Amino acid sequence: MEVVWAVGQVGAVWVAVVLGLIVVPSALGISLGISEVYMWVLVKTLEWATIRLQKGAKKPQPQMPLTPTANGIIERDETPMEKEIALLHRADFEFSHIFYFCRKGFEAIVEDEVTQRFSSEELLSWNLLTRTNVNFHYISLRLTVVWVIGVIVRYCFLLPLRFTLAAIGITSMIVGTTVVGQLPNGSVKNYLSEVVHLTCSRILVRALSGTIHYHNKENRPQKGGICVANHTSPIDAIILTNDGCYAMVGQVHGGLMGIIQRATVKACPHVWFERSEIKDRHLVTKRLREHVADKSKLPILIFPEGTCINNTSVMMFKKGSFEIGGTIYPVAIKYDPQFGDAFWNSSKYNIVSYLLRIMTSWAIVCNVWYLPPMVRKEDEDAVQFANRVRSAIARQGGLTELPWDGGLKRAKVKETFKEEQQKNYSKMLVRNGSVG
Amino acid sequence: QGPLGSAPVTSLLSLAVTSEQIEHLHRRFKQLSQDQLTIRKENFDSIPDLEFNPIRGKIVHAFFDKRNLRQESDGLADEINFEDFLTIMSYFRPIEMNMDEEQLDRFRKEKLKFLFHMYDSDHDGKITLQEYRNVVEELLSGNPHLEKESARSIADGAMMEAASICVGQMGPDQVYEGITFEDFLKMWQGIDIETKMHVRFLNVDTIAHCY
Repeated sequence: MEVVWAVGQVGAVWVAVVLGLIVVPSALGISLGISEVYMWVLVKTLEWATIRLQKGAKKPQPQMPLTPTANGIIERDETPMEKEIALLHRADFEFSHIFYFCRKGFEAIVEDEVTQRFSSEELLSWNLLTRTNVNFHYISLRLTVVWVIGVIVRYCFLLPLRFTLAAIGITSMIVGTTVVGQLPNGSVKNYLSEVVHLTCSRILVRALSGTIHYHNKENRPQKGGICVANHTSPIDAIILTNDGCYAMVGQVHGGLMGIIQRATVKACPHVWFERSEIKDRHLVTKRLREHVADKSKLPILIFPEGTCINNTSVMMFKKGSFEIGGTIYPVAIKYDPQFGDAFWNSSKYNIVSYLLRIMTSWAIVCNVWYLPPMVRKEDEDAVQFANRVRSAIARQGGLTELPWDGGLKRAKVKETFKEEQQKNYSKMLVRNGSVG
Repeated sequence: QGPLGSAPVTSLLSLAVTSEQIEHLHRRFKQLSQDQLTIRKENFDSIPDLEFNPIRGKIVHAFFDKRNLRQESDGLADEINFEDFLTIMSYFRPIEMNMDEEQLDRFRKEKLKFLFHMYDSDHDGKITLQEYRNVVEELLSGNPHLEKESARSIADGAMMEAASICVGQMGPDQVYEGITFEDFLKMWQGIDIETKMHVRFLNVDTIAHCY
């Protein structure tokens, strides 16, 4: 009896603390500074750990301290094909072309640009999470002790806290939007819907210990526009809605997600498609066009890559989003992998284990840049426009651009793309006067 | 046991790669082999970047060529293990700063030998006109605008040049049988392949990445 009462008391205190320190400030949009303190402690600890690791490394450092990039383990020679073959050129067509393709072939075998993007970014220094401990071995007792403390903190304190918050966040979202949905359409409803969405988003971000830096807020997406961003994980949507309201676009799911979708669409005109409707591209474009045409509706949020990429590069943007018309507001999102890897490798982890990993990481730290709006030019087609937007996002976020399709995660290279490459090469040969 | 199991590490010292690089390559090997101990030709199909390389076939072939694997017998292996994989990768190791004349010469010869094997598809020690043509056709394959004739004339022209370098003026009834390895070496004299035919690893130090 007493035990039950004691547990009840602890539970009540816990909920009160959570509500007071986290939920209420979220609703009001203010910060108590707790997460800043947490981050400061975390950074100091990781710095200390890195120094220990460096001291502990027994191998003498080699003489060539090249700065590693996030782009792989081999040095790529970026000389374009024309230049390289011209350098080796000797009268007619020569063995020289073999070189170029041999080397490219070997580079691809050691490390190909595409597969690399579907596995998590490698860290330069261990961040005291077991899952990233690939290269780093036992160094010292102190480090191990810190690591053990880290495990306890993450699993026994942070995980329950975050779980509670997530539960509160999702429940309030469902309840809040259902209540607001009952109101008649009007400015009151829109205002309240915004409040509910923002509050729940903020709670959810805190549930992930998210620290987000927004840059260039003056370029924030306006009503009647289309917001376009690079995709790394399902959390991207929450990161963005933390700072503004958007109309989501997506497929109708079952289960908890489906409940959330049905509740939120009553309060705010999100665009949810049935599975069958998604296949019909014209229908999709038509509905989105109608939404965008209505200037009073919230900007829609689209991830044109179509799949999660590991946040070191931006892959091909599907042109569908760029055929709708209207103003595009590009947004670049770059996560800092040191504190927690946000990338969802859907072939390796399902959504539940992914969320578990996220909730037992140190934190989710990311930078969001709002880029100036872009409109399709007269002489551009959708593909060119898509590439232009993609370049802008890649440049801002410090990501590389790859012409590859995110669908390569699962499928093979399209024949048309292969032929394109071969044609380029042969055209160049003919130009160099190699044909007699 | 490390990735190499019980294979003697001394044979790998000639590769002059660091243990970190070996670990990287091992991870790549496991990825390609899908966690098996050996790789077959089919495993190379999973590399998108390799797809549009016109000499893809020859490159993959080179991995299974027993001459490259330094094995006594001839022909093609069905599958290769990690040690074989490293052996082939060693043909592409970059030049080192502390190499002397003799080492450099051996280094260069090895790379050229690798290239030679790529051309000499029937393993008879000579690159014939037909073999050369095959290579050129492969390099130009997939382009509908270039007919077979162009590929032929390119190959013939290059072969003529090769013959003239190696044998001097030939009589009208003399037939140039094929490029031997010595001729091949002569053709490449003066051309700097050491800096063109290599793959260099980046050095990843544990740099403090905090603020």
